[in-house]
Order: sequence, then structure tokens, then C-alpha cells
Amino acid sequence: MAAFGATVIRAGRRFLSSLPALFGVLVFTFLLMRVLPGDPAVFFASGPNAGKEEIEVIRKQMGLNKPVPEQLMLYLYDVGSGNLGRSMMTGQLVTKDLRERLPASLELTFTALLIALLSAVPLGVLAALRQGSIIDHGVRFFCALGVCVPTFVSGLLLIYVFYYLLGLAPDPTGRVDIFASLPPRRTGFLLIDFLLAGDFDGWWAAFRQLILPALSMALFVVAPLARITRASMLVSLGSDFVRTARSVGLPWWRVVVTYALRNAILPVITIAGIVFSTMLGANVLVEKVFSWPGVASYALDALLSSDYAPVQGFVLLMATVFVIVNLLVDILYGIADPRVTIG
Amino acid sequence: MSVTVSRRLLTVVASIAFSLAAGSVQAQTRAETLRYVTGASVNTLDPNIPGSTREAFAVSLSTYDRLVSFGRKQLNGKWVFDLGKITGELAESYEVSPDGLKMTFRLRKDAKFQDGTPVTAEDVKWSLDRVVTAPVLGKAQLLTGSMTSADQFKVIDPLTIEVTLPKPDKLALPNLATVYPIIFNSKVAKAHATADDPWALAWLKENTAGSGAYKIETFKPGEQVIMARNAEWNRGTADKSAFFKRVIVQSVPEPATRANLVERGDADLVIDLQASDVQSLEAKAKLKVISTPQYNAVTFISMNNQIPPFDNVNVRRAIGFALPYDDMFKAALFGRGSPLFGATWADGKPTSGAYPIPQPVKLDLEKAKEYLKAAGMPDGFSTTFSFNVGQASTAEPMAALVKESLAKIGVKVDIQKLPDAQMSTQINEKKLPFFTEGIVAWLPSTDYFYRNFYTGNQRWNYSSINNPELVEIAQKARFEPDAAKYEEDGVKLNAIHFSEIPQIPLWQPSQDAVMAPSVEGYTYQFHRQVDYRDLNRK
Repeated sequence: MAAFGATVIRAGRRFLSSLPALFGVLVFTFLLMRVLPGDPAVFFASGPNAGKEEIEVIRKQMGLNKPVPEQLMLYLYDVGSGNLGRSMMTGQLVTKDLRERLPASLELTFTALLIALLSAVPLGVLAALRQGSIIDHGVRFFCALGVCVPTFVSGLLLIYVFYYLLGLAPDPTGRVDIFASLPPRRTGFLLIDFLLAGDFDGWWAAFRQLILPALSMALFVVAPLARITRASMLVSLGSDFVRTARSVGLPWWRVVVTYALRNAILPVITIAGIVFSTMLGANVLVEKVFSWPGVASYALDALLSSDYAPVQGFVLLMATVFVIVNLLVDILYGIADPRVTIG
Repeated sequence: MSVTVSRRLLTVVASIAFSLAAGSVQAQTRAETLRYVTGASVNTLDPNIPGSTREAFAVSLSTYDRLVSFGRKQLNGKWVFDLGKITGELAESYEVSPDGLKMTFRLRKDAKFQDGTPVTAEDVKWSLDRVVTAPVLGKAQLLTGSMTSADQFKVIDPLTIEVTLPKPDKLALPNLATVYPIIFNSKVAKAHATADDPWALAWLKENTAGSGAYKIETFKPGEQVIMARNAEWNRGTADKSAFFKRVIVQSVPEPATRANLVERGDADLVIDLQASDVQSLEAKAKLKVISTPQYNAVTFISMNNQIPPFDNVNVRRAIGFALPYDDMFKAALFGRGSPLFGATWADGKPTSGAYPIPQPVKLDLEKAKEYLKAAGMPDGFSTTFSFNVGQASTAEPMAALVKESLAKIGVKVDIQKLPDAQMSTQINEKKLPFFTEGIVAWLPSTDYFYRNFYTGNQRWNYSSINNPELVEIAQKARFEPDAAKYEEDGVKLNAIHFSEIPQIPLWQPSQDAVMAPSVEGYTYQFHRQVDYRDLNRK
């Protein structure tokens, strides 16, 4: 228990020490957005009669009529008080948009990562155990295929086969059938909210919507996970302690799972952490193809229309998620390998 | 034991019966629901908010009423809006005084807002005042109809309102039928106004207070809007409420997914598919495809008349004869639209005073070379050709063909693809020499086009042309009451356009509406969106 408390304190300290980095990201994105060519006021004043006056109105509305240092101070003050500004694109507060969209992205990413880990780790272990065999080559082929097919191609392909041709999947438009009613919002994760509401039909509907986008994302990240599992399994299978374990006649599964895999899992956790952060930000193509109302497609739309506030909010959010995921990975290290502590 | 069994049996039977009944109810509501999918999104419930999208316009047409609306007519067998026929919407009748300086609107006695309170002249006055006073998009629009001040709107009695104009303006009445001058429930709106925001812009952005055919059920900006029918509404052309009980407007960013949805019958209507998808869907003949040339829109290749070498009229003429029009039309639009090139003008005179009309230009490299020689640039020059990412699907193949063809007369073209916000910024700053863009006019009349798109140092004057004669004729034509003289002015304007060739009209792209075979009543509207009130299912 004391050890746990110490971990929490150290994790908190680690989080605090990453605050300057978050601040840097905030200022950098702010300045970057203003350096980029493209005037959002001109873009949003695009009605058939929008002239100079309309552009000025929007500029004022977005606070762009003030000098940049003043804008930055105002923005920092707003962020400090929990306000990330207002999106021109959706007309909503950025915090509200992100709060609504982040669970969608997280749910998708978690599911994809789960699918990826559940398939990549056994595949990697198998490939390592039967090195050079037909299984090893098969896994390598599968990984190469997964990496070289871009997610939007696999996404469109999955839609074409399972929705258009076979009619097995529901229409690929968002998180739940448009005609279905949503559960009361508790966590924002539909799978959890449906369960909490006791609506199993709804849960099944949400799950069916989720499975294709999650699969097309998982396909893309299976490769790095499986390859790293295989490589680090090979190292630990060839090590002395595994030879010893084998020589004392332990059952094979115990040798593989308890001794080899537990020692081989550290790099996999590291990679999984990185993969998760990248997936969350970079799954924009999957979100677009499946009309998934997530944060990445939101940020891309905002970037294309030079809508400053959502882009800044998104980058800040991603940086925070990255910090938290790294922290989690470090804590998981400690669980996987008691010799490692976070400091 | 037997009791339990029979009870269990009863439960099973009941649950089966229940699920069957539920199924048929669901099927029924599906038939009464319109599911419209689009690549764009709705970002405000008040179309007046700066930055509002075209999808937001479409929603506001259903949630609010205006005083008057446009009728519809058949054009080549397809329904399109009719600028010449203006009928009452909230107004039961209207009359324009003989001198054209007064318009009097009598409101319908039975018109009610969605909260049940009657629509009064006070509400109309407040709403029109708002459009011309508040910092909203409608201000610039109503300016084109000589309505600029709240003093022009006068309440005569609770059901009569009078609009006075400084001079007779043909566009005054049509302006009141556009998207912006919607009639709000002023009591509700005022209750949400604040000192900083006397016109309740913030509240009306996310809430509605109207008398329209549909009520907002859910509004998720950027995702979906679900509207339920207002059964009380009777302002439609057939004096009854709208057909569909529910309308779902859903954003589906990927065009291929939209095509799949409508083909599988999960979506009922889509108007923004890729031309290639429309063509294949049309070939399969399972769905109804209604293609209407957007006769109030034009796609151009523009040249900046103030920047060398395009300040030289002979260079512009050379470009006019060096573009591979037919190939571009096929590659960009798959021929879906009406071309504005390849016309023959007898004795070089414009064939009509309308705008736009097909221009007497075609691919003629010899002629183009002669013009270049006349411009003093026989060896050509280098330039960049820009288009925005949003138009890439049509502009990209077009740009490649422009580059290839212009290389043949010695003009080296670099293709520049710009994010939309960057492109509009550079156009506004008049920095692009050579680019493609499109324009649209809600109230397409010749003088309107020339005044807005060929006049002044402003954003929509893409070619930055500065021709005093053109400006003078266009300004005069605006208030020309005599139709024959107006036509004459139009012919003059078109002649100047061709001799100066500030930009090259290419075509009017088609609006391809793809819908389930059961959907009827689709009408091409001035705002180029779907008016959900027009539709029904047979």
C-alpha cells in the first residue's frame, strides 16, 4: 500500500514536471497558427455578399483585431480559466466540442488497440516460437500487408465488403444508428453508457458500428506490435533463465508466458503507448471514412479553414494525452518488471 | 410446473408480437422520415451569423418563414426556382405601389409561431430591423435591394407592414425571399437579448424562435440535425404542412460513403456526390438522378487584370483561345453541366443580354499565338495557376490540362493547390495572377452579376477589372424599368466582357441530386441546397 502511495506521489510529481512542456506547446501552437498563411476571417466571411465589413466583424469576433502579444495574453488567461475559445466552424465552445468528441475517439482507439494487442502479441509469440517456419513467414506477410495498406483504403474496403456487398455491417455513419436513441450521457463512452442504462440492444448496435473502424485502425498497428513482440521474444527465449526454466522441466506454457513473455513485454508496452498516442491523433482518415465524430477529423477541418481555437485546443489536448499515456506506460513498467520504478 | 411453462410461453408469444409490432411501426416512421446526407455541416441555426454554412441556410428555410418566397417552374423538365413568381409565405398578400416606392404586406391571420403565439407585424418589424442593423450577413444582402435602415419598415396595424424604398428597386421584393430576412418570434428573442447582444445573436445561434415547417429536435453542430414536422404549418405551396414527419440532416464527410448509403437505400437524398459516382449510379438506373445546371452559378478561369502579364488584353485573349475547353469539361465534370464556350456570335455581337451566355471561344492555338505576338510576348511567359483544396476533385484534372495546353504556346504554368482559407485570403489581397473560382448569385440578373463580380476593388471582383464604362452601364441598368432597354444594356455589358475578356467563363456545373426512387418534388433552389419542404414520398 505504501509502495502504491509512493507511486502516486511520484506520478503526480512527474505530471507537474511536464507542465512547462505543455505550456511550451500551447505558446508554440498559438504562434504557429498565426504565422500560417490564410486569414480565417476572410474564409468564414464567405456568403455571396460578404465584403470588408463582414470580414471585420468576424475578425473582431475571433479577437484578431488586437496585436498578437495581446491576443496571446488573453488566450493564456482564457486557458488558465478553462476556456479554450470558440470554434467558428461549429459555433460551439472548443471545450464543449472536445468533451463531446474525445470519448468517441478514445473509445475507437481503445478498441482498436485492444484488438491489435490481442492479435499482435499471440502472433508475435507464435512467430518467435516457430522462427523461420511457415507461420513466421505468414505473420510477416500479414504485417507487411497491414502496414502497406493505408487505413482509409482498408476502411473503404471493409465498408465495401461488409456493408455494401454483404449487408452485414450497419451503415458506416457515426457511433450509433441514426434512428436509435442514445443512452443518458454518463461517461461519453457509448459502450459503457449503454451498459449502465441496461440497454443491451443499444450496446450491440453501438458495438456493431464500432467494429469496422476499429478493425481498420487495428490492421495498421498490428505490424509494429507483432514485430516488436517477436524480436523481444526471440531475445528472451534465447536467454539463460529460459534455458534454465526449460532444463528444470517446467511446462512449456509456463516457460513461454511467465518467464519469456513477461520479460519480453516491456518494449511492447512502450510501443503500445506510442502507438496509442499516434492513433488518437492520426486516425483522422478512419474518422472521415466512417463519419466518426472524433477529435482528429474535427482538428483537420479546423486546420483547413484556419479556425485557430479548435486547432490550439486539439494540440493542447493531444499533448496532455501524450503526457498521461507516457506516465501510464511508466507505471505499467513497474507492474511488468518490479525492478523498474518511475522517478 | 405447467403454470410456469404456460406463463413462459405467454411471455415469449407476447414479446414476439411486441417486436413485430415495433418493427412495423419502425418501418412506417422510416417512410415518413427523410434522411439527407451531406459532406458539409450545419454550424448555426440562424443563417445570419457570420460564418454560417450553406447547410445551415437549408435548415433555417425549414425552421423559419419569410414574408414571401419564390415559386417554381419547369426548366427542361426539371423543377427550378422561379425568380419571376413571388408568392406570400407569412404574407397573405402584398402589393407594390405604382411608383415602386412602397411595398405593403398583409400577414396571414392564421400564422402562428411554434410556441403558439400569433405572428404580428411587430415581429416582422423587429426581424427586418435586425437584418439591417445587427452585424449579420443579411445586411449586405438587403443592401442589394435598397433596404438599409430600420426606418424603412413601418407597422401599419397588427397584421400589416409597409416597406418604403428610396428608389424603385427591382431586387427589393426578391431580397425579402432570400435566406436572411427570416421572421423571428420577437418576444422570445428579446427575452434572450442582453445589453452586449441586443439582437440575441448568441441565443438564436443555438435555438430557434420561428414559425417554420419544422422544429429542431436535436442539433449537434458538425454532426447532425434532426427536425420534426410542425403540424400547424400551412405556408407551403399546397397550403398544407410539409410531408415528412422527420428530417435528418447528417454529415458524412466521405463522398464514397455517401454514395454507398444512398445506393443501399439507407439515405434518401444527397446532392454533393463526386461526378464519377453520380455517373455510375445513373448508369445502374436504380436511383433517381436529377441533374440541374446551376443556372445562377458560373465557374471561371480568372486572370488578375492589374498584374503583368495579364494586364495586357492580348495576353488574356491568347489564354482564351489556348484552353482545351472540351477536354476540361469532360475531365473535370464528366460533361455534367452546361458549357459556356464554343458559341458562335453572328457578326461578333452577343446573342443576348442575359448573364452568363456562352462565349465565342474555342481551342485555337494559332490564334492564341497571334495574340501573344500582338502582346509582345511571342515566346510566352511563366505564371502560376491556383485552385483550392475544396475544389480539387474538379480543379485538379482541369489544372493539368491547362498546363499542358498552355505549354504549347510557350506559357509555362506552375500548378498551386492552396488550402481554402489561404486561397480566399490571397484572392482578397489580389495576389493570385491566374486561378479558377466559382461564383453564385441568389438573384441572378445581368446587372447584379456585373455590379458584384466586375466592379470595385473588392474580393468578388476576381479579375480586378476596372472598366468605368462597364460600371456605369451596370449601375444604370439596376434601376432601368424598361425591359427592352435593360436587354440592350445587357448586350452592351456582354460585349465589353468579351472584348476585355477579364476572366473566362467555363461552365455552369450541374447540381446532381441523387435520391431514392420514392422521393418526389425535388426543386433546384437559388441557395443550391435542398428545401426539405418541397419533398414528399410517393
